Amino acid sequence: MGTVEHIGRGAGRISGDLGDLIPSPRPRARVPAVPKKDPVRTAVRTFGEVLITLGLVVLLFVVYEVYWTDVVSAGKQRDATASLDDRWAKDADPQRQDHFSGLGEGDGFAKMYIPAFGADYQFTIVEGTTAASLEIGPGHYTHTAYPGEPGNFSVAGHRVGKGAPFNDINLINSCDAIVVETSNNWFVYRALPKEEEKAGWAEGKGTDARCKGVSVLGGAYSEVIGQQIVRPSNGSVVAPVPGSDTVPSVGEQAALMTLTTCHPRFSDKERLIVHAVLVRQEPKDPAKPDHTPPELKETA
Amino acid sequence: MYGWIWNHLPGPMAVRIALALALAVGVVALLMFVVFPWAEPLLPFNNVTTTQ
Repeated sequence: MGTVEHIGRGAGRISGDLGDLIPSPRPRARVPAVPKKDPVRTAVRTFGEVLITLGLVVLLFVVYEVYWTDVVSAGKQRDATASLDDRWAKDADPQRQDHFSGLGEGDGFAKMYIPAFGADYQFTIVEGTTAASLEIGPGHYTHTAYPGEPGNFSVAGHRVGKGAPFNDINLINSCDAIVVETSNNWFVYRALPKEEEKAGWAEGKGTDARCKGVSVLGGAYSEVIGQQIVRPSNGSVVAPVPGSDTVPSVGEQAALMTLTTCHPRFSDKERLIVHAVLVRQEPKDPAKPDHTPPELKETA
Repeated sequence: MYGWIWNHLPGPMAVRIALALALAVGVVALLMFVVFPWAEPLLPFNNVTTTQ
């Protein structure tokens, strides 16, 4: 009857009388019948897997666009700032004049601060508005004026990804300071009154201490407002007189600053434009290298 | 597709897992560093300038 095997396969297992059955070495799960390769099944499954994969690729693209480009641009912005600081330290002009000639595409030449966005809001502005330049930071439209000059100092910047320097420029209120630092000067621009604030500006918001020097512009500039949304084809927003083809003589041009970015966020259907006017210029004092204009403290 | 790839990976389980991970990382890197930077300018999000 029952035996105990001591050697070979199944050693130590007690097996009963199995009759005609050959004892199996170990209990084996029943092997399911292998389904025949069904081409329809394979095709449907592959199709599904491809769709899932494409969905993952799109998700990854969002990560790339919103986060990864920020990381890459932060590095480029750091390099640009470092080389600008270097240049300012090395090539100090004895006349304390700013020079903007000979700038190459992507070269940093100024820094911009928007204190309303916090004390740490600082970007090095580079020359040119090509995709490569805008990856470094806000880019200057090469055919427009330079900081402090009469005309329209115009800068484009990304709103999503790539450091998104102009992410929040829709939040710039009238009279908010946009401070531009060049090698020898500080220029304080302030956003112009918005459309709805134009009426009654002098008695209304215009009386605010911060609004000193900001007024509803007259003459050829009467249509220029603090914030507007335009079509991408509207290149006249960076013209010397924004929104107009007339080009007054240099002596009659106001010193404006214009920011452009895409609108709405995540789309390039339109452009968001912010116009500001130069209210104050402060030469840097080499004896006081740590001095900054008081406008930088308007962080509230 | 994934089943086919898995079945064609050689070696024991540990090696297969390592190879599968390496493949995944390679694909992600290819997308992040080659495909996306190429495709991005063709997509309508990032034009921030106005044209004359």
